[in-house]
Amino acid sequence: MAQESGTRTLISQAQLSRGRGRIIYWTLLVVVVTGFTLVFLGPLYWMVTGALKSGQEIAQTPPTLFPKDPQPQNYIDAWNNLELAKLLFNTFYYAIGAVLFQLVFDAAAAYSLSKLRPIFGNVILALMLGTLMIPAMVLIVPQYVTVIDLPIAHINLLDSPFAIWLPLVANAFNIFLLKRFFDSIPEELMAAALVDGATPLRTLWSIILPMSRPILGVVAILAMTAVWKDFLWPKLVMPSPQTRTVSVGIYSFAGGTPMNVVIAASVIAAIPTVIVFLIFQRNIMSGLTTGSLKG
Amino acid sequence: MSVPQYRKAAALALVAGLGFSLTACSTKSGDKDTNAGGKVTITVDCQPVGAQKELLKNWNDDVAEFQRQNPDIVVKSVSVGEQCNNPPDFTARLAGGTVTDVFYGYMTDVQQVLDSGQAMDIAQYANKDTIPTWDSIDPALKEVFTDGGKLYAVPVKNYSMGLIYNKVLFQQAGLDVNNPPKTWADVRAAAKKISALGNGIAGYSEYSAGNTGGWHFTSLLYSQGGRVLTEDGKKADFNNAQGKQVLQNLKDMRYGDNSMGSRQLLQWADLLTNAGAGKVGMFIGAPDATQAIVSQFQGKFQDWAMAPLPGQDGAAKGTLGGGEGYFFKKDLTPEQVKAGMKWIAYQKLTPGKGQFDYVRAKPQNYPVGLPQPLLFANGSDAQKQELELRKANANVDTANFAIFEATPVPIKGEPRNAQAIYAVLDAAMSGVLTNPNANIDALLKTAEEKVNQLLAAES
Amino acid sequence: MAITTVPPTSRTAGRPPSPYPARPQRTSLGRKVRDNLTGHAFLIGAVLCFVVFSWYPMVRGIVMSFQRTRRGETTWVGWDNYSRILADPSFWPAWQNTLYFTVLALVVGYAVPFFVAILLNEFRHAKGYLRILVYLPVMLPPASALYLFKFYAYDPSDAGLFNAILKALHLPTSQWMQSPDMTMPAMVIASTWMNMGGAVLIYLASLQSIPGELYEAAELDGAGIWRRIRHVTIPQTRLILALLAMIQIVATMQLFIEPLILANGAGAEDSATTVAYLIYQHGFFQNDLNGAAAVGVIMLVVLAGFSAVYLRLSAKQD
Repeated sequence: MAQESGTRTLISQAQLSRGRGRIIYWTLLVVVVTGFTLVFLGPLYWMVTGALKSGQEIAQTPPTLFPKDPQPQNYIDAWNNLELAKLLFNTFYYAIGAVLFQLVFDAAAAYSLSKLRPIFGNVILALMLGTLMIPAMVLIVPQYVTVIDLPIAHINLLDSPFAIWLPLVANAFNIFLLKRFFDSIPEELMAAALVDGATPLRTLWSIILPMSRPILGVVAILAMTAVWKDFLWPKLVMPSPQTRTVSVGIYSFAGGTPMNVVIAASVIAAIPTVIVFLIFQRNIMSGLTTGSLKG
Repeated sequence: MSVPQYRKAAALALVAGLGFSLTACSTKSGDKDTNAGGKVTITVDCQPVGAQKELLKNWNDDVAEFQRQNPDIVVKSVSVGEQCNNPPDFTARLAGGTVTDVFYGYMTDVQQVLDSGQAMDIAQYANKDTIPTWDSIDPALKEVFTDGGKLYAVPVKNYSMGLIYNKVLFQQAGLDVNNPPKTWADVRAAAKKISALGNGIAGYSEYSAGNTGGWHFTSLLYSQGGRVLTEDGKKADFNNAQGKQVLQNLKDMRYGDNSMGSRQLLQWADLLTNAGAGKVGMFIGAPDATQAIVSQFQGKFQDWAMAPLPGQDGAAKGTLGGGEGYFFKKDLTPEQVKAGMKWIAYQKLTPGKGQFDYVRAKPQNYPVGLPQPLLFANGSDAQKQELELRKANANVDTANFAIFEATPVPIKGEPRNAQAIYAVLDAAMSGVLTNPNANIDALLKTAEEKVNQLLAAES
Repeated sequence: MAITTVPPTSRTAGRPPSPYPARPQRTSLGRKVRDNLTGHAFLIGAVLCFVVFSWYPMVRGIVMSFQRTRRGETTWVGWDNYSRILADPSFWPAWQNTLYFTVLALVVGYAVPFFVAILLNEFRHAKGYLRILVYLPVMLPPASALYLFKFYAYDPSDAGLFNAILKALHLPTSQWMQSPDMTMPAMVIASTWMNMGGAVLIYLASLQSIPGELYEAAELDGAGIWRRIRHVTIPQTRLILALLAMIQIVATMQLFIEPLILANGAGAEDSATTVAYLIYQHGFFQNDLNGAAAVGVIMLVVLAGFSAVYLRLSAKQD
C-alpha cells in the first residue's frame, strides 16, 4: 500500500524512531492492536462460541469464555431449518445480477451523457443527480406500489429478482462517478477512433472500458455492498420464503427459532463474505480507497 | 446513417429494453390457465414450513389423498413462512395481489382484505354440497366473515385466551398442577414461587413489543371486565380502575416480586422461545400457543396445561377471542371456488380428517385433546363426532383443560383499529415492565389521549 | 464533491469539440434522435429505470399522500392523511428519536472513524491487519451483527457481555435496550461498530493525499500534534468530511433495521421508534399505505430544507 515509501504524515518518521517518541509509538501500537482485536474480533469470537453453548449456559452469570459442553447441533439445525444454502444463493444471485445490470446500463448511460451528446442530456443528468438527495425511505411506499403493478405494462415484480435489480440501476451516484471518469478521457482518443471508422459501441468497448477498469471495480463493489446491506426493500419485494435474502431470512426465522440457532445462522451467513473479503481484500481496499474518492 | 449502423443501434436498443421484456417472463403465470387437461388447479397457502417435519408430512399426505379422491382437482401448496399471517408480509401479499387462490387470514383481517379488494363473495358457493359440515359451523363465526350480506371466508379455527402454565415448573415449585391460579392474586403468588427456582426462570411472562403488548393488555383488561373503547367506538375507555389494575398487577410482579424475569420488550416468538426452553411458568394465550411451543420452539407438549383466564377476585369477566379462515381471491372461476371449498372441507372441517385426524396426530409430537378449535356449534353432529374422536385419542391429560372447558368465560373480539391501538398500548406495557418508577396513572393517561387522537383523526 | 479519479492517460486542458456531429439547428426532435441513435439507445436503459423507479414514484408518492384507498377504490382526501399522521402519538417521538440518533451518530459515528483513520495513518506496522479488522464487521449481514448485539451484548441480565464487563470493573450495569435513556446510545454503538469500516477507509485515502510538506511547515512553525490536526489535517480533508457528513445524515434519517431488531420496533415507551419505522408501521401493520406515503413526503420536505441550509452554509464557507 501507498505508505511504505515513507510519505510524511502527521508525525514525522524521525520523531517516531527516536527516544521517547519510539517508546510512545510502540506502546500505542501495542495498545491499539490489542484494543482493536478485542473490539472487532472479540464479538465475532463471542458469536462463534456463543452459538455452541446450550440455552442454560447462555443464561449463566457471569458468562463463560469457552463453551463447556459444545453443541455443534445448533449449527446443523441452523443450516437445515433456515435453509441457509438457499438464502445465501439468493443473496449472491441478486448481488451478481445487480452488478451486471448497473455496470451495463449505468456505464452505457454515463458514456452517452459524457461523449455522445444526447438531446436534453444536461436536463436528464440534472434530474438524475437530483435523486441523490432523496433517501430511499421517502420513496419506499410509492416504489413498492409501482413494483407490484408496473405502469403501462401492468406487470407484478414481487418475488422476481428484477424488483431488486432494476431499481438499483436508477443510481445517480454510479452514473456520476462513471461520467466524471469518462469526462476525463481525452476527446482526441475518441476523435482518432472515429477517424479510424470505429462506431461508438466499438470505441466504448475497446477504448473507454479498458481504461475505466478501476472505476468499474468501484461501481461493482458498491453494487455488491448495497444488495448485501439492504434490508427493508428486499423484505418488502421478496415476501416468499423461497426468494428471501440472508438478512431478511434470518430476521424472519428469528421469530420462530431459539436464540442460539439464530446466532449460529448469523455466523454461517457471515462466513462466505468474510472469506471473499479476505481473498480479495487488497483489491477491495485499494478499489475503495485509491480508486474512487479523494479529498 | 448507414444501414449497418442503424441495425446495430436497433440491436442496442433491444438490449437496453431487455431488462424490461425479461421481467414479463419472470412474473407469476398460471393464475389463469386453470383448466389445462380438464383439471381445476387451485393454489393454497399456509403449508407448514420444512422445519415442522411432521406437520408438513401430514399436510402433503392430505393433499395426496384429497387429489386421489378428486382426480379432477390439483392442489398446489404454498408455504408463506412459519407464521402464516405475519402482518407486514400479509399486507405485502395483499397489496401486491400475490395471495394464493385460497388464502389464510385472521378474523381481524376482514377489513383489510376488503379494503384491498382481493377477496370475492363466496356466499352462493358455501353450502352443504361443497362443505358437508357447513350447517354445523358456529353461525357466530360465519357472521365474523360476513359483510353486508356477503360472505368472504370459510372459518377454520376459533379460540379464546386462557392461562397457560408449565406443569413441570409448577411441581418443582410445590404448586398443585390440578389447581391452577384462579385470580390474579393467585397468579402473583404462584409466579413468586416459580421464579424462586432461579436459573433465569420467569414465574409469569408478558409481551410489550411489536404490537403484541397492546394485544395482551386488551385480554387482561377484558378479564377485569373492562373494554378498550366505549360502546360507540369513539373514545378510549381503559383509563379507569380496571386499566390501572392490569398495569398494577404487572408492576407488582415485575418489580415488587421480581418474578417476571429481567428480559422484557418481548414479542410473539420471544416469549414462546423462552417457554420452549422451560424458562416460563405461566403466560396468557390461546390453546394453540402450546402447539407452537412444541412444533417450533423445541418444547414438550406434556409439560403444558391450560386454565381459564384469571379474574381480579374470582373468574375472569371476559376474555379475548379470535380465529382464522380461508379467503378466496377475486376472479376465481366457479369451479375453482368449489374446488377450494372441497379442499377446506376435507382438510379443515371434517372430523377424523386433516386437522381433526387425531389418530394420526396421537403418536406424533403434537398435543391432541386441546379445547379447540371450537368450530362447530354446540350440540351439532360434527361437534359430537369431533369431541368423541378427541377424547378417544387424547395424548394430553384432558383433565388439564377440564377447568378451562368447564368455566366458559364470555368472549370478546378485538377493538376496531386494533393494530394502531395496540401500538399505543405497547408503550404502556413496556413502561410498566422496564421502568421500576413507572407512573401507571401517567402511562394510562398518555395512552388514552393518544388513542383518542388517533380515533378522532380516523373518523 | 471531490471525486478525482484519474485515468491512466494525462488530462488535457480545455475540451476539444466532440467528434460526433454537433446538433444541427432547427431540426425536428425525431430527426435529432435518429441522427444520434446510438447515443440515445445507450441512455435509454438507465433513463427508463429512473423514470419507473425514481421519478415516477416521487410524483406518485406525493399524489398518494392526498388519496386514500379503501375497498379497492381510491378517493381524493386532501390533507386527511397528514392530519391523521400528525395525530399519530408516535409521530413526534419518532422525529425526536431520529434527530437524537442523528446528532449522536454525528458525534460518535462520525468523529470516531476520523480519529481512528488518523491513528491508523500514523502506524508503520500492522497497518493491513488493523484495516482488515475495522472493515470486518461491514462484511457481516446487518441482521447477523444486530442479533449479536441484541442477544449477547445488550442482554439486560448479568449474563450479558456488556453487563458482565461492567460488573467485573465494579461499574453500574445497564438495562440497555430496556432503558429509554440508553436505547439510542446503545443503537449508535451497534451501528457505528458495524458500519464504520467504510468511512475509515475513505478517510485513510484522503489522509494519504495530504502533502507531507504541509505538516513539515506546520512543525517548523512550532505547531504541536493537535494544532497540526486542526490546521492541516482537517482543512485538507474538509471536502470529504463534508461529503461524508451529508451521506451520514441522510443515512441516519433512514434508521430502520437497528430499532427493528434491537428493540423489536418501538422499544421501551416508544424510545426506539424512528421515522422509518413509522412508515413501516403505517404501511404494513396498520393497512395505511397512504399515511405512510404522507410520512415519506414530510421526510422529503425536512431533508430538502436541511439540504438547502447545508448548501447555503457550505457556499458561505467557500
